[in-house]
Amino acid sequence: MSVATTTPTSRPAARSQVRRRVGRTAIFVAMTIMAIIMLYPFAVMVLISFKTNAQYLIGQGSSTQTWQQINSSLPVWQELWNSTVVCTLSIAIILVIGVMAGFSFAKLQFRGGNVVFLGIVSAMMVPLQAILIPEFVNIAKTGLTNNYLGAVVVYAALGAPFSIFLFTTYFRRIPDELIEAGIVDGLGYWGVLWRLALPMALPAIATVTVLQFIQIWDDLLVGLLFLQNPNERTITVGLAALAAGHTTSIPLLMAGSLVSAAPAMIVYLIFQRFLVRGLTMGIDR
Amino acid sequence: MAEIVFDQVAKVYPGGNTAVQNLSLHVADGEFMVLVGPSGCGKTTALRMIAGLEEVSDGTISIGGRVVNNVLPKDRDIAMVFQNYALYPQMTVAQNMGFALKIRNVPKDEIARRVGEAAKILRLTEYLDRRPKALSGGQRQRVAMGRAIVREPQAFLMDEPLSNLDAQLRVEMRTEISRIQRLLGVATIYVTHDQTEAMTMGDRVAVMRGGILQQVATPDDLYDHPANAFVAGFIGSPPMNLLNAVVDERDGGLHVRFGDQSVVVPERYRQSHRLDAYVGRPLLLGVRPEDLVAATGDAPGRFTATVTLREALGSEILAHLNFGGEEVIVTDDTTTAPAAHSSRVVARLGARAKVEVGERVELTLNPENLHFFDAESGVTLRGGA
Repeated sequence: MSVATTTPTSRPAARSQVRRRVGRTAIFVAMTIMAIIMLYPFAVMVLISFKTNAQYLIGQGSSTQTWQQINSSLPVWQELWNSTVVCTLSIAIILVIGVMAGFSFAKLQFRGGNVVFLGIVSAMMVPLQAILIPEFVNIAKTGLTNNYLGAVVVYAALGAPFSIFLFTTYFRRIPDELIEAGIVDGLGYWGVLWRLALPMALPAIATVTVLQFIQIWDDLLVGLLFLQNPNERTITVGLAALAAGHTTSIPLLMAGSLVSAAPAMIVYLIFQRFLVRGLTMGIDR
Repeated sequence: MAEIVFDQVAKVYPGGNTAVQNLSLHVADGEFMVLVGPSGCGKTTALRMIAGLEEVSDGTISIGGRVVNNVLPKDRDIAMVFQNYALYPQMTVAQNMGFALKIRNVPKDEIARRVGEAAKILRLTEYLDRRPKALSGGQRQRVAMGRAIVREPQAFLMDEPLSNLDAQLRVEMRTEISRIQRLLGVATIYVTHDQTEAMTMGDRVAVMRGGILQQVATPDDLYDHPANAFVAGFIGSPPMNLLNAVVDERDGGLHVRFGDQSVVVPERYRQSHRLDAYVGRPLLLGVRPEDLVAATGDAPGRFTATVTLREALGSEILAHLNFGGEEVIVTDDTTTAPAAHSSRVVARLGARAKVEVGERVELTLNPENLHFFDAESGVTLRGGA
């Protein structure tokens, strides 16, 4: 004859397991609702982009006509190229400044370093709108509003404080002894930066690149003001110009918006793990 | 290979904090010199000054006869092993070891040869393609050593290289480092706060405190003839017992009084330690724990004490003893004298000694190994010290 026994701890254990399962289900439901809310506009954009303007107005039917005509209605490839050039140049400047300044603040002792660092970090708090007019006046005086450089300089100036902050935080995590080992091995500070510190800072580089890419690619305001040559408009500026036109085709606008959003989304999806790592840097100190 | 000479070296940080004062030290070619002392004694600063990682405020440092005060670290031809190994995480073991040579544009074949040789000495050959994070603490330590060895430098500098290892590995690496240093015959300065490392590894040991060099001597000499009470209290585990005492002259002989005890001082100390000048004056009596022995028969100079703590270490028993008298603790502040007591001692007894807590035991001092120090300055009273 066998007797089934229950240990005194089995009931509370089962209860906690049920509680955990309920909690997990609640989180899953909440996240699903959030995802639907977030994805709904994209779904609408996709659906509308597969209609002609007439179909959109009557609310019936679907067509690929808008997508076939997108390049003739909107200089989409030229504008994508412009966005790529502006993004690449700005991010390159932001990275160079961020890496060099971050290494200096983190590893070189110099008088007033902390105050300067604090000043730079404070610059992150200043909203773009507050400095836009003086910036425009300055850039206009130098005549850079007629080419990429005007927007590139402004984007670089806006992105550099965050980049410096992130790289400083990252380089502070590298032990001083590692830097000193490099110096004793025969490197100067430049050598230590480029041959030792930089290869270790790849996650920080990826984080800055992704965040700045998304920010610059999606930005409208700076592009609208500082890229006044129609041939150098970025995709967001091009879409805004289309929206402001007298005969706006909503399906065309949706298709253009999807084209505009796609690169930022792809970059985000590829590098999101770096992004999380980069943004939580310094928290474990 | 070369000798290293500190000549009146000082290091004063901005703000006036003096880390090293007037340091003069000669490390011979091939010698293993250990700098030892408590935290903040200036030993690491001294080492970093040789490496060129700290500027010298005063005096000169020479390596191989060349004053290097204003020479860049990379041009000093020294190699350094750091406390946390400082291995480059993005490089393999072989790349870590060969990095300094690569910077100097040494041909690849030569780098491979030297890395291979060093790896063989350090038993790292099978780990050459691994990255540091895939190695154990001991292996990382050996890679750090390897990085220094391949350079074939004039001197090795080691900054507490074993302090991150567990106790057993530390013992193993102690002998390993000593073996390699003797094999290569390169002048080595090794910084540690662990006096066991200092005593077992160094050809000579330099004891520092508060930025001042206290004594440089062979481990034996340091143990048997400490120059002052600080060295006496720092070297040895457990350290030397330092007792507040007074020397009296009675019946034509000298007696040393500590607590409520009084024992006869052998006559030879009168001259060797100039005790006549200290009759009636306070001084510090130093007794090594192994020189407190159980009294047998009617041995002279016996005294009784109560066992307050018994630490059985297997091969020996450490008995903490208390004898009558007012307990006086001299705090260790800025003077050279360490903490001294008038009524507490530690005795190192044999493994079979029958002592229990609370028991009263009879002890004598080994008359051959008494130490006397000035109560104010802590300096030994031994003549010619």
